[in-house]
Amino acid sequence: MVHIHDHDAEPYRFSINDHLDLLIEVLKRLDGRSLGAAACVCRKWCAIARNDSLWEHLCFRHVSPPPVGVRPVVSALGGYRRLYMVCVRPVLSRLKRRRIGGESEVVRRVWSQHEVELSLSLFCVEYYERLLVGGGRVAGDSPASSSLKFLCMPVNV
Amino acid sequence: MGPYDSSISPAAGSSNSSSSACSSSTKPPPPDQMDHLLAGAGYKVRSNELNQVAERLQHLETVMVKSLPVDISEMVNDAVYYNPTDLASWVDSLLTELNTNVTVPEPVPVNTDLSDLHEFPSGMNVYGSNHAPEMHGEFSQQAVTPLEEDVSIRLVHVLMTCAEAVQRGDLSLASLLIDDLQALLGRVNSGCGIGKVGSFFVDALSQRVVNSPENGVVQVELTAYENEILYHHYYEACPYLKFAHFTANQAILEAFDGQDCVHVIDFNLMQGLQWPALIQALALRPGGPPLLRLTGIGPPSNDGRDSLREIGLKLAELARSVNVRFAFRGVAASRLDDVKPWMLQVSPKEAVAVNSIMQLHKLLGPGPPIDLVLDWIRDLNPRILMVVEQESNHNQPEFLDRFTESLYYYSTMFDSLDACTAQPEKSLAELYIQREICNVVCCEGSARVERHEPLVRWRERLTSAGFAPLHLGSNAFKQARMLLTLFSAEGYSVEENEGCLTLGWHSRPLIAASAWQAIPKPSPATMGR
Repeated sequence: MVHIHDHDAEPYRFSINDHLDLLIEVLKRLDGRSLGAAACVCRKWCAIARNDSLWEHLCFRHVSPPPVGVRPVVSALGGYRRLYMVCVRPVLSRLKRRRIGGESEVVRRVWSQHEVELSLSLFCVEYYERLLVGGGRVAGDSPASSSLKFLCMPVNV
Repeated sequence: MGPYDSSISPAAGSSNSSSSACSSSTKPPPPDQMDHLLAGAGYKVRSNELNQVAERLQHLETVMVKSLPVDISEMVNDAVYYNPTDLASWVDSLLTELNTNVTVPEPVPVNTDLSDLHEFPSGMNVYGSNHAPEMHGEFSQQAVTPLEEDVSIRLVHVLMTCAEAVQRGDLSLASLLIDDLQALLGRVNSGCGIGKVGSFFVDALSQRVVNSPENGVVQVELTAYENEILYHHYYEACPYLKFAHFTANQAILEAFDGQDCVHVIDFNLMQGLQWPALIQALALRPGGPPLLRLTGIGPPSNDGRDSLREIGLKLAELARSVNVRFAFRGVAASRLDDVKPWMLQVSPKEAVAVNSIMQLHKLLGPGPPIDLVLDWIRDLNPRILMVVEQESNHNQPEFLDRFTESLYYYSTMFDSLDACTAQPEKSLAELYIQREICNVVCCEGSARVERHEPLVRWRERLTSAGFAPLHLGSNAFKQARMLLTLFSAEGYSVEENEGCLTLGWHSRPLIAASAWQAIPKPSPATMGR
């Protein structure tokens, strides 16, 4: 995709890895699953995809109006990537599933303020539970704590 | 359920001949063939016809619901001319009145899917609320075998009879009935539905009968650690506590709007699971976070750990990471009426919120502790008093009433637990609920702390204690609804009831949250005029 091994082509070769700002712009527009897949491409992409600002963009790009002052709180509680994995993705998918059959499904739904607040609260509870269990040491990548398991479970349709 | 006057009409016997599908004769069945339990209630039914009668009753209900109201009112105006003590023929005659084709559905072939059985306890809500039609409609379509249905009905009936015997003091009959119940439990699926709830109630009853039934049993004390574990699993397995916490936090947040110094008093800190969300919401509020003081009341630890202090430290750590100025104080008290206001160290400059999640009902025991406690709460002049309580009446003076009400209430609650996707931790949550059941059924006097009262009673009590209701806003309602859509089971419902929110299962409210504000007492200076 990035290296064109065509010896008959022009000597100019474009490598995306030389233009990380472009790469970031592209990654910013991906959905969560693709972003995760991108992180598996190579070590450099992994490091870039783990950049929390990308996940911040993913979490809140559809929020209208964009939340103010949230960043330090989210960073303190574990970062946007964790917020997405633990709260945003399950909440969105669960809410979206509820709408099927009733209202028409909006592909790029706009979050409401309430949904943002609820996700942040659940995230905070999860952080606290890790505190309770871990005895003060909060590991960065430990799996979702028990209180949010109800989000991870399949919906009983 | 007193027996009907069987001297209604001598024409009863001949009128019964109009029913076509009736299998019983026009004469009442001989006593040895009658079901003795129903006979005690005044109905004469052959034991071997119980299944058919039950099916026909169900069919009758479906037909009555589907009939036009005008047909029913015609029936109502007629005198009762069929003898209802002969239950089988009475049902058949009503069916022929309402419906020309009395086609009772054939007993469906045995369905080994025993999970259908959990529909039955919901059917018991017929007595309380009016969503019976869809329940029974579902019920008749699902193929619960007549045998299981029979056992479930008998189980409930024998439970009631046993409770009545306990209330009367007839211990010998009660013990016999408990043996009956154990046998019935062996035949029903005790993994879900009525079997599971039934087994808890049978346990509780047998404890009560074996030990002293008047003075009640004293429940085994758990260590603080064990209590916390059960509570945590109950928190995870069902949304009731989460609903309570999130609704309370929203109301407290709104009450603290614009205040710089706020003080929250929690009547039961446990692991402090309610407070991280409030701390985070305060951190993000426009205008910046206030100085937050939290006073957590909890039982003195009986296993050496200072759990109050540990929780305080964890909450402080969380508050520090989100930059909220925070101070914690723990107050150890085994009962709420042991707490004295000076222990809380409330400063007059700060805005106070009092948070009671399922604690106030413990004060309704003998004596006036509830009035004293409400009085000193009012003296603190809180901006908001948050009360979340179980929505049921488990504090009636008569044992049988309490037993019946709690059977319905906890069946509904277990229904909702069953419907959530299976988790291994569910058993500990059930143990938590089982302890409540045991307390309601077995204990008496000051040992019985689970004295739940419904919202209307709390409203009266709080209003007469000098509190004015605060309406929980639409934000709380929306948040609660959103929280519920995240839970996998579809049966939960949030309703608004005069400014209070109730969370229920299939429109049977189970938890009610209300907010109150203290009316300042008239000062002595103004009273002289």
